Amino acid sequence: MSEQVDAAWALLPDYLSQHVLLSAAALGLGLVISLPLAVVAARSPLVRWPAVTFAGLIQTIPGLALLALFYPLLLALSGFTESALGFRLQALGFLPALLALTLYSMLPILRNAVAGLTGVDPAVREAADGVGMTRSQKLFRVEVPLAAPVIMAGVRTAAVWTIGAATLSTPVGQTSLGNYIFSGLQTENWVFVLFGCAASAGLALIVDGLLGLVERGVGQRKALPVIAGAALLLAGVAAAAAPGLLHVNRPAYVVGAKNFSEQYILADLIGSRLTAAGAQVARRDGLGSAVAFRALEAGELDVYVDYSGTLWTNVMGRKDTPPRDQLMAELTAWMAKEKQVTVLGSLGFENAYALAMDRKLAGSRGIVTIADLTAQAPSLTLGGDLEFLSRPEWAAIEKAYGLNFGKEKSFNPTFMYRALASGDADVISAFSSDGRIAAQELVVLSDPKGAAPSYDAVVLISPKRAGDRRLIEALRPMIGAISVEAMRKANYAVDRDTAKQSPAQAAADLAKATKLD
Amino acid sequence: MAAPLIQFNAVSRLYAGQTAVDAVSLDIPAGQFVAVVGASGSGKTTLTKMVSRLVELSSGQVLVEGADVAGIDPVQLRRRIGYVFQGVGLFPHLTVGENIAITPRLLSQADGEIAARVTELLDLVGLPQTYATRLPDQLSGGERQRVGVARALAAKPKILLMDEPFGALDPITREALGRATRDLHDKLHLTTLMVTHDVQEALLLADRILVMAGGRLLADASPRELLKGHGDPAVAALIDTPARQARALSALMGAGA
Repeated sequence: MSEQVDAAWALLPDYLSQHVLLSAAALGLGLVISLPLAVVAARSPLVRWPAVTFAGLIQTIPGLALLALFYPLLLALSGFTESALGFRLQALGFLPALLALTLYSMLPILRNAVAGLTGVDPAVREAADGVGMTRSQKLFRVEVPLAAPVIMAGVRTAAVWTIGAATLSTPVGQTSLGNYIFSGLQTENWVFVLFGCAASAGLALIVDGLLGLVERGVGQRKALPVIAGAALLLAGVAAAAAPGLLHVNRPAYVVGAKNFSEQYILADLIGSRLTAAGAQVARRDGLGSAVAFRALEAGELDVYVDYSGTLWTNVMGRKDTPPRDQLMAELTAWMAKEKQVTVLGSLGFENAYALAMDRKLAGSRGIVTIADLTAQAPSLTLGGDLEFLSRPEWAAIEKAYGLNFGKEKSFNPTFMYRALASGDADVISAFSSDGRIAAQELVVLSDPKGAAPSYDAVVLISPKRAGDRRLIEALRPMIGAISVEAMRKANYAVDRDTAKQSPAQAAADLAKATKLD
Repeated sequence: MAAPLIQFNAVSRLYAGQTAVDAVSLDIPAGQFVAVVGASGSGKTTLTKMVSRLVELSSGQVLVEGADVAGIDPVQLRRRIGYVFQGVGLFPHLTVGENIAITPRLLSQADGEIAARVTELLDLVGLPQTYATRLPDQLSGGERQRVGVARALAAKPKILLMDEPFGALDPITREALGRATRDLHDKLHLTTLMVTHDVQEALLLADRILVMAGGRLLADASPRELLKGHGDPAVAALIDTPARQARALSALMGAGA
């Protein structure tokens, strides 16, 4: 427990400063866009209705979806800017998070600013004309000061929303306080989840308090609270920016991780080997499968671990399932030729999608292979992880064996295993390297028709790092070095309920066990 | 005779097909105190606002000091003309001093000059100097309108436009303020155009009264002439109102004695 708290504190400077910079940038950009728009909207009902409706519509999109949508959007735009203007846009990380949060922050600012500006007494507005003010003098000397308290209230709301929603930027590859929450959720590290919530809420409260000070100052037309509040806010942003500015020129390798324990452990292992080789390392954690590969292809990630079968079906679009060695050879050649991506090699274990059941239930029903499920599936519930049910591998298995489950449910991987224990699912899409298979006494159903491909864990290196000797030298010893038993043990150390380890601790132990330290 | 300070040449104004002001022509010489009376919607406020282009003309021409206002930047024009608004129209976020100083500040006058002008104007409208730092909502209605007059006079305009300036005040304050305004008009050699629905106020303060109805000018004469009677029965009835009330009052006092 206290070790986990210590681990959480150690990550705070990085997570908090990135969270602050992201939120501040989004809020700042939101203000720069919303305030002039509000001025125009307050004058013209033709602009007002579409602007406020659009901002309101954005607000109805779930925050996570909004962030996720910017990834394909920026990827498409990036293709355009590369061909038209010769540079690529960053589709992962800061930019998509910034744009989504900016949109998210607009509604309260826009709505309050329009309400504040249109709420100015018409007699006062006419007086401003009558004493000989120009339009901009009327705006800045009369309308804005009178609307300021209402506008500031909107800015406060936007700040609190933005800081909260910024935790959702982790899955698009932007480090934030959400890293605690997402990694904690995946590894059942509730200390991390609570720590992330508390840090984000604390930040929101402090910012709200300081903006409240500014708001009171504006309302009472006193300069001191305005200056004090604004100065403290700027000092906070400056403190968050300072470390980043100091490190800005040091080249860093970006290591990616998808959203489950094994990926965090392997990313930590890769990271520590690169650090040991004297390199700077940055992390992009909690990425979706497809997002991770595209990010690597685009050079936003330098290295991450993926699985041969996943790449075979999802990236290459192949439906056949050749033997393991042949699949690896074809994959390596295709990646080098078509995507300029280096497949450095297999780590030495498979993490296959496998259907697993409770040993007792399987025994009592006489189920040994997937073929045995064909007749019994209608009376059973299948639990898949969040992407399994929509993946082509599942479609292939389903088709090959004619499976027709009574119910199909999706779970976060952690809860999927729980569902099996609680009876919410009878069959789950387990991972063959998962430590919980042995720990929970599950049986993995064999695949006699070979419907699913093999899933060797492979190290992928981005096109722009293809010839990077330091990177390749640091990672090559990992190839073939990790057995499925060693990986299961490391995974279980993170996934189990008691005496849990952080992915970093598990990675250190794994390194020792496999002589990679 | 010198050229008139303000000239209306067949001015009209249409609002959504309705004629608010209908082909009105008249000249106002410098130094005159003119009251415009009439019912609500008679066009009296619209006519007044044409002078400082707060209302644009549909047709016709307004000349100020011989120049067509259509050719003058409205912002510059308004800084030359004092305007006292219906209701209050003070800027609630600015102090009394800042309200009075607004037009000189827009004209970029020197700070020292502006401060001296604020002091002078507070004296002129009969407010204590301590009021300079107060906000408008700390003042009574009468005091606020004195500030409104001071603000209108701050940039030393030749023309003062007033739109029902004392409408919301109690009768005693109203009379005192009306008197004070007429004194200022005389002292500062202003040319004043005042809209009012109070015929008695118009008769007692103005040199000349314009009676409007339905956008047209029904009568244009001095109070003395109008009191003698008018060919239009509507005008005659309107002008007779204060006299009729006075007769009723004396009857009441006689009955009580």
